[in-house]
Parts: sequence; C-alpha cells; structure tokens
Amino acid sequence: MSQETLRKPLSPQQLASSKNRSLFSGDTRLGWLLVAPALLIVLGMVGYPFLEAIRISFTDRMIGRGPGEFVGLDNYRYIIQWPQFTEMVVRTVSFTIVAVFLKTVVGLILATALNQDFRGRNILRGVFMLPWILPTYIIVLVWRWIFDGQTGVLNQILMSWGLIDANIPFLAKTWSAIGILIFVLVWKGYPFYALTFLAGMQTIPKDLYEAAKVDGAGRLARFRYITLPGLQQVMGVVILLSTIWTMNTLEIPLLLTGGGPSNDTEVFPLLTYHLALQNFRLGEGAALPIMMLPVIALLVLGVASYMDREAIE
Amino acid sequence: MTNVFDRIPESVFRVISAAVIGILLFMIIFPLYFMLITAFKVEREIYSELTWIPLEPTIQNFYDVFYNFGIPLYLRNTLIVAGITTLIVIIVSVLASYALTRLRFPGRAGMARGVLFVYLVPSSLMLIPMYLIIVKLGLTNSYTGLVIANMSFSVPFCTWLLMGYLRSISAEMEEASLIDGCTRMLSLWYIVIPLSVPGIVTAAIFTFNNVWNEFIFALVLAQDDAHKMISVGLANFYRADFYMVGPMMAGSIIAMTPVVILYILAQRYVVSGLSAGAVKG
Repeated sequence: MSQETLRKPLSPQQLASSKNRSLFSGDTRLGWLLVAPALLIVLGMVGYPFLEAIRISFTDRMIGRGPGEFVGLDNYRYIIQWPQFTEMVVRTVSFTIVAVFLKTVVGLILATALNQDFRGRNILRGVFMLPWILPTYIIVLVWRWIFDGQTGVLNQILMSWGLIDANIPFLAKTWSAIGILIFVLVWKGYPFYALTFLAGMQTIPKDLYEAAKVDGAGRLARFRYITLPGLQQVMGVVILLSTIWTMNTLEIPLLLTGGGPSNDTEVFPLLTYHLALQNFRLGEGAALPIMMLPVIALLVLGVASYMDREAIE
Repeated sequence: MTNVFDRIPESVFRVISAAVIGILLFMIIFPLYFMLITAFKVEREIYSELTWIPLEPTIQNFYDVFYNFGIPLYLRNTLIVAGITTLIVIIVSVLASYALTRLRFPGRAGMARGVLFVYLVPSSLMLIPMYLIIVKLGLTNSYTGLVIANMSFSVPFCTWLLMGYLRSISAEMEEASLIDGCTRMLSLWYIVIPLSVPGIVTAAIFTFNNVWNEFIFALVLAQDDAHKMISVGLANFYRADFYMVGPMMAGSIIAMTPVVILYILAQRYVVSGLSAGAVKG
C-alpha cells in the first residue's frame, strides 16, 4: 500500500490531504462501485470467453455440431504434427521481424526529416498520419486492386510505359505476394512510428545538440549519442507494441492475399481464422492461439514493464 | 574521425531530407489518388487502359453505391453500433479511470495494472472466444453482439488512456473541493470531468473510429444485410476474381470521410492523446 502511494506523483496539497484519513474513508466502497462496470465488461467479455476457449481447445467441437467431446491434447498434437506448422511459425516470425525492422527504419528516417524546421511541416505531419488513421480494410482493398493481375493500376502503368508485354499476377507469385504483404504492413504501420518518434525527438532539449556541435560532434555522432538515447524509451515501447500488433494482424493478410498463393502467406492469425471459421474446426482454431500465447505473453510483459516504468516517473 | 554522413554539407542534407519526404509522400498519395479518380471514372475507362484523369467524369459510381447497393443501410448500422459503443465505453471508462487514479482502495494497484494487460491482449487471441460467446448468447447478426465485441477492446484501451490523462492533470482543484466539503461524485462531475474534456474527446474519437474501421469481428459476427457493417459491405465489392472497382472506390471515399473529418477537427487532441495514451501511459 505504501509503495502504491509512492507510485503516483502527488502534489503537496494531495500529500497534505491524504494525511487526512477521514476524506478517504469511503474510498473502498466507492472505488469498487466505480470500477464495477468496467470490471464486469472485462471479466465477462474477455476473461470468461478466454477461459471458454481454453476449455474448447480440449474438445473436438465443430461449428453446427453441438458441444463436442473431450479429446485431451489431440488438437494440440494435430497442429504440431501438421507438416506446415513449422513453416507457418517461421513465416509469421520472419514477416513480423522484417516488417517491424522496416517500420522502425522508415519511421526514424521520416521523423528525422520532419524534425527540421521548414514551412508546411504541420500540414505534412497531417498527411503522414493518413495511413495510420484510414480504415485498414480500405487501404488493403485499394492496394490489392493496384497490384491486381487483371485490372490493376500497376500493370496498367507498366504496360503504358512499355515495360511489360503481358499483365503480371503480382499476388499470385510467391515472392511478390510476400513482398506486397510486407509492403502493406509497413505502409500502414510506419507513420505511427514516425509520429511517436517525432514527439519523442521534440522532447530532447535543443541545447544538447548545440553543445555537441560546439564540441565538434558530427551529424552521425549527434544522432547516435543524443537522438537515439533520448528516444530509447519511446522506441522500446513502440517496437514491442508494434511487434504484438504486426504478429497478430489478421485483417491485412486476409483481405490482401487470403494466405495465397498456395499458403505462402498463411500466417498464424490467418490460420486460426481458416481452421475455426472456414474448416469449422473450433477446437483446433481455439488451440492454435493458445499455443502462441507464451510468445505473446512475453511481448506483453515486455511492453507492460516499459509502460509501467514510465507511469511511475 | 569524419564519416560519410558528416561530410555531407548542410544544404545537401536538406535536399536529401526533402527527397526522402517526397518519396514517402508519393507512396501515400499514389493509392489515394487512384482511389479518388477511379471513383469518378466510367466502368469502361477503369478496365481499359491507364488514364491519370477521368476522361468522362461521372458520379454514377456514387449513385450506384447509394441506390443499388445497401451502403446507406450499412452506414446507418455502423453509425448506430459506433455511437452506442462510444457512449457506453466513455461512461464506463471515465468512472473506472477516476477510481483507479484518484481513490485509494485495496485491489486498486492490481486492477490498474490489469487494465494495461487486457488492453494489450491481441484481437487474434480473442476472435474465436468472442465468436463462441456471441453464438452462445444468440447475438450473431445483432447490434448488441457487435457492441459487446467492440466494447471488449475499447473499455481497457480508453480506461488506460484516461488514466494517463488524469495522472497528467493536477489534483489541486479536486482536493480543494473535497476539503470544502464536496463529495467525491460531485467533484468528479463538476471538476474532474470538465478538466478532462480533451482526454475524453480523444478517447471518444479513438473508440468511434475503432468501431467504424473494424472489419474482422464485423465480418464474423454480422453477415445479414440488416446488421452488416460498412467495412464488410465494402469488402464484398471484391468477389472471387472480380472487382466492382468503381463502386468500391466511391464507397471507400464515403466510408473514410467521417474518419478523416474527425481527425482534422481533433488533430490537436489526437496527437497529444497519441503520446499520452500509447506511449507515456
């Protein structure tokens, strides 16, 4: 309890009044009362469904076929023994790493570029927010059409410039489909990085740079020894958060490639969707996310520790 | 110890910056530009060869979207679900965040931390469980089901965001009102809420937009026309190997307009909310 009191930055007035116990005597009842609606929603709509999913992962329940029977670890065994399982995990992990890396790099570059003083900077910042604020499904549908092999704009452009003779089905070829998936993930994601990095950069005192300049530090040295350390906290949170989001994105692969061509872009959330809602195998569909839980939990704990630390400050 | 970066003169560096911004800007404008012009093209022109400006500008696609496809109905459904969800989420989150930041009671610390964890639970983990519960409750193809699903991610997020906001504003006036004999609830209503308007606006915008933009749960939970959300309605313009490109682009422009307007109106709030909610906590 005393440790908890320390966590919050208290104003002198608050400190003074918190000694006055009588003010807070009704806090316990009122506190629980005010938290109750939120708690009910979270327990009922996140906690309970989650426990229910764990239970169902041990059954052979299928859509439209009653409750199903207890089958122990069969679903887990089935998924692990499935020949493409390892491929799917490797694919999910590598797409995530590549996408997060590119988002970080592009985000840093854009934030650095936008951090300079020039006219129209605020308007530009607004435009760069677009990919982040626009509905994901619209963005994916538009890119999918652009890369479409029949009527896509990219094919039309390449054709009109005489670069190709016949339409290329970009989304039907392994490597271009993978490339496009990562491209759209990055396109949608880097503005959030850039905007938070930019916000972080603007909290770094300008005189640090001036002093470093006077001491003869070059551009790279200033970036490395002032900007990067100053951004460390923000970068840590953003990268971990985005790793969780990127790894769990279902919407983008579902609408862009649907896992194709021939499962080459079938990532973990997509496989969950396909197992449970296309093959109607709810037991397996429930088991797969639970198998990924340790990885997700580790990432979540990582972010939570970062964000908690910030909250204490 | 000079390296390549340091040898670049300042003027050249500015040019490089401008070029980088230019390229990234182009990548953002490119799809949006084609979305815009394609919405005003006649069907023949879309499928023939490339044109950068519509040869025969038309509003036929918008007309089709409104009168031949159920878009107005889907927009209405989405507005209802997003409105109800936002209202409930804001009320619930304001109460919870106030209690979790300002009151001292056993269980507070654990719950405050719990909020963060629940907010971080990815939706791919919740898809099947949520689907099962909604089916069990018989709430597929209903506004209630959609509201419940959307609330489940928005409540933890908004509570977290508002907790961050409340921590950042001073408790002085509140304390003064309490010492003067104001009850907690009166102080919440007359002092805390008016002071938190920017935070509440940010939370409301995020919630509304999240529901408006949500696709996966809308797809899984509501397939019938009477309750279909705009995201699912638009995705249906793409069927198997055939795109109804013109109507899809026109529909996309209509669907993204409210989102863009909200952000333009509230850009100031959103940028501060971005650092308060997603980074600073």
